Amino acid sequence: MTNRTYTRPVVYVLVWLALLALLAVTVGTAFLPLGWANTPLNLAISVTQAALVMLFSMHLRAAHPLVKIIAVIGFFGIAILIILSLFDVLTR
Amino acid sequence: MADAAAALHPQFDDADQQRTAANLGIWIFLATEILFFGVLFAAYAITRVRFPEAFAAGSRLTNLPLAGINTAVLVTSSLTMALGVHAAQHGARRALVGWLSVTVALGCAFLAIKAVEYRIDYLEHLVPSLNFRFAGPQADQVELFFYMYFFITGVHALHVLIGIGCIATIAVMASRDAFSRAYFTPVDVTGLYWHLVDVIWLFVFPVLYLISRSS
Amino acid sequence: MNSAAIATDESYLSSGWNWWSWLTTLDHKRIGILYTVTITLLFGIGGAAAAMIRLDLLTPHSQLVSIETYNKLFSIHGVIMVWFFLIPSIPATLGNFLVPMMVGARDLAFPRLNLLSWYLFVGGALFTIYALLAGGVDTGWTFYAPYSTTFSTSHVFAVATGVFIAGFSSILTGLNFVVTVHSMRAPGMTWFRLPLFIWSMYATSLILVLATPVLAMTLMLMGIERIFGIGVFDPALGGDPLLFQHLFWFYSHPAVYIMVVPAMGVASEIISCFCRNPVFGYRFMAYAILAIAAFGFLVWGHHMFVSGQSAYAGTVFSLLTFLVSVPSAVKVFNWTATLYKGHVSFEAPMLYALGFIGLFTIGGLTGLFLASLGLDVQLHDTYFVVAHFHYIMVGGAVMAFFGGMHFWWPKITGRMYPEGWARFCAILTFIGFNLTFFPQFIVGYLGMPRRYPEYPPEFQVWNVFSSAGASLLVFGYVVPLVYLLWSLRYGAHASANPWNAKGLEWETASPPPSENFHTTPIVTEDAYAYAPAEHPHG
Repeated sequence: MTNRTYTRPVVYVLVWLALLALLAVTVGTAFLPLGWANTPLNLAISVTQAALVMLFSMHLRAAHPLVKIIAVIGFFGIAILIILSLFDVLTR
Repeated sequence: MADAAAALHPQFDDADQQRTAANLGIWIFLATEILFFGVLFAAYAITRVRFPEAFAAGSRLTNLPLAGINTAVLVTSSLTMALGVHAAQHGARRALVGWLSVTVALGCAFLAIKAVEYRIDYLEHLVPSLNFRFAGPQADQVELFFYMYFFITGVHALHVLIGIGCIATIAVMASRDAFSRAYFTPVDVTGLYWHLVDVIWLFVFPVLYLISRSS
Repeated sequence: MNSAAIATDESYLSSGWNWWSWLTTLDHKRIGILYTVTITLLFGIGGAAAAMIRLDLLTPHSQLVSIETYNKLFSIHGVIMVWFFLIPSIPATLGNFLVPMMVGARDLAFPRLNLLSWYLFVGGALFTIYALLAGGVDTGWTFYAPYSTTFSTSHVFAVATGVFIAGFSSILTGLNFVVTVHSMRAPGMTWFRLPLFIWSMYATSLILVLATPVLAMTLMLMGIERIFGIGVFDPALGGDPLLFQHLFWFYSHPAVYIMVVPAMGVASEIISCFCRNPVFGYRFMAYAILAIAAFGFLVWGHHMFVSGQSAYAGTVFSLLTFLVSVPSAVKVFNWTATLYKGHVSFEAPMLYALGFIGLFTIGGLTGLFLASLGLDVQLHDTYFVVAHFHYIMVGGAVMAFFGGMHFWWPKITGRMYPEGWARFCAILTFIGFNLTFFPQFIVGYLGMPRRYPEYPPEFQVWNVFSSAGASLLVFGYVVPLVYLLWSLRYGAHASANPWNAKGLEWETASPPPSENFHTTPIVTEDAYAYAPAEHPHG
C-alpha cells in the first residue's frame, strides 16, 4: 500500500496536455447552446479530469484496493447528501 | 544523506509499515477534505436548482478569462509537483528542489491572479454584504450566488495558501538533504494534498464560471 | 499468561511523573487518561445543566430560572453532552487505551496526531466554556437557522467555533484508529480474529472521519451567515432553512452512531467474559457493526419529517430508518444468545452491560415509533423523543462507558475497585435512569413539548417522578467517581488478568509497560476463545 509506483515523467506530461485539452473543451462547449446538456457535459469533463489526476498523478492506478476505496468514498458520501436532499427539494 | 533507519518511528516495525500507514493516513485526510468541500457543492447545487436564472446571471458576471488562466496555472503546478515527487523517488535532490520551487511559484501565481480577480469583482460591485449591486431581477438570489462564489473560491484559496506553505517547507528541507530515495514521505504526502487541491478546483471552475455562457 | 503477577514498578504510569511528562506524552495510554479526566469534568458541567433543568421542571411554571435561562440550559446541556462527552467518551478514553493493545501494537500509527487531538479537544472545550460563562447559547444544540444565523443574540459563534475545533479532534482520532487497525495488527491477528471492540472502534472511526467534516463546513456556513448577514439559509434572500437541517443532520445522525457503536463493542467484550462464552455469531456481529455505520448515513431526514421536508422524501427516509434498526436488532439477539447456557456471573461490569442491552433495546424500539411518519407527527418535539434518545445515549452509551471503565480499570490503573459499591451503583443507576426517563415517554406521548420550561399542571406528577429519578442518577454517577479515585491509592493491586478474560490486553501486566508488550504477541486463536464452565476468578 505504499507509493512504490514509478510513473515515467512522460505520462505526467501527457496527463497535463489532456487536462489542458479538456479545459479547452469544457470552456468551448460552454458557449454552445446545448440547453440542459451543458452542465452535465461540464461535470463529465470535470470527472474525467479528476480521474486523470487521481489515477496517474496521485498513483491510484497501481494502488492497493483499500486506497482506491478511500479515494472515492468521499465522493460517494457527498453524492448521497446531494441526491437525497435534492429529492426533498424537488418534490416539495 | 538521509538515513531511512533513523526516520523509522518506534511504533512501526519497519519502513514499509510506516510508509503504508502514512499513505493510508494522507488518503483518509484527503477524503475528509472532499467531504468538507462537498458540503459547499451540495449547498450550491440545492440553491442553484431553486434559482437557475439568478445563478446563470451571476455566473455570466464572473471573470472567465482569469479563471481559465488560473485553471491552467494550477494544472501545470500539478505537473511540476508530480515531477518533483518523481525526482524524490530517484533521489535527485537538485531536481526535487527545482520542481518544488516552480510549484510554489505557480501556486503564488494562482493566488495573485485570484487577488486581481477579486479586485475586479469588487470594482464591479459584486461583493455581497460590502458593495453588491445588481440591476436585474432576483437581485437577492444573484447576491446569494456571489456569496457562494466568494466563499467557495475563498476556502479553496486558503487551501492553496496552506499548500504553498507545505511545499515551500519541504523544498527547504529537501535543499538541506532531508530526503533520499528511501525516505521522502513528506514530499509524497504534500504532493497528494496539492493534487487534491487541483482536483477540487477542476470542479469549482465549471460549476461557478460556466453556467449559461451560451445565452 | 494468567499468573497473578503484581505490577512491577516499571509501567507506563511510573515512567515520568510530572506535569510535563503528561502534557507532552506520546503514549496512547496516557492520552487516554488525559481524555478521561477532561471528559469527566465536562460531564460534570453538562450534568449540572441537566440538574438545573430537572429542578426547574418540578413545577409547571418555571420558578427556578427565567425562560431565557432555561433555553440556555438545555442548549448548553446538549452541546456539552453530545460533543464534549458522548462523542469522545468511549473512543478517546477506552479506544485510545485499548486499540493498540487489542491489535498487538506498541502504539497507534500517529502518536503525535493523537496528542494533537487531545489539545484540539481541550481548545474547543475552552471556547465552549468561555461562551457558557459569557452567557451561553439559546439555540438548542441543533443550531437551527434562521434563529441561529439571524435572530439569536446569544454566543452562537463562540460555541460553534468550539465545536468546530473539537471536530478536528474527532477526525484525528478516527484517522488514527483506521490506519492502526489496517496496518499495525500483530502477526496472526487477522480481521476475523479481532475483538468486536476493535470492529466497533473501526466502524466508529469511519463515521468520525466521514461525517465530521460535514459538520465543520455546516457550522462554518452558519457562522459566516451570522456575521455577514448573507447566506443560503436565509428565507429573506430566498435561502432555505431546511438546507441547514439537511446539512446538519447528515452529520448529526451518523454522530449518534459514533455515540452508540463503541458502547456495543464494550458490551460484547464484557458479556462474553462474564458468561464465559464466545460472542454468538461473531461474523454477523462484525457485519452488523459495519451495516449500522453505513446505513446510518442514509437516514438523516427522519429528524425533519415535520419541518417542511416533502412527504415523498419523508417516506424514503422512514423506510431507510426502519432498515437501519435491523442490524442493531441482530446484535441484541446475538448478545442474548451469547448468554444462553453461559456461566453467568454478575460483577459490576456485567451489571452495566446487561443494563445496556435492556435499555438500548427500549430506546431502539421507541425509535421505530418515531420512524413511523404518522406517529412522528404526534411525537416530534415532545418528551417522547427526549426519552428515546436518552435511553440510547444514557441508558445505553453511558452505562456501557461505566461498564467498560470498571472492566478495564484494573488494566489501566493496576488496582481493583470495590466490587460491593460498584454493584450497588450499577443497580442504583439503572433504577434512577428508568425513574428519570420512562415517565418522559408517557408525558411526551400525552403531549408535553420538549425544550419548554412550562407545562400543563396535569403533567406535573410525571415530571416529579423524572426529577426524583435524576437525583438518584446523581448518586449513581458521583459515587463511582469517588470510589474509583479512592481505589487509585487504596484499591487492591490487580493481577494481569483479574477477570480471566480473553484478549491481548490481558496478556500483559496491569498496568502495562510503556511499550505495551515486551515482545510482539503472535496470535493463534480466535477472539473469545473461552472454554465453558470456567469461573472469571480462575
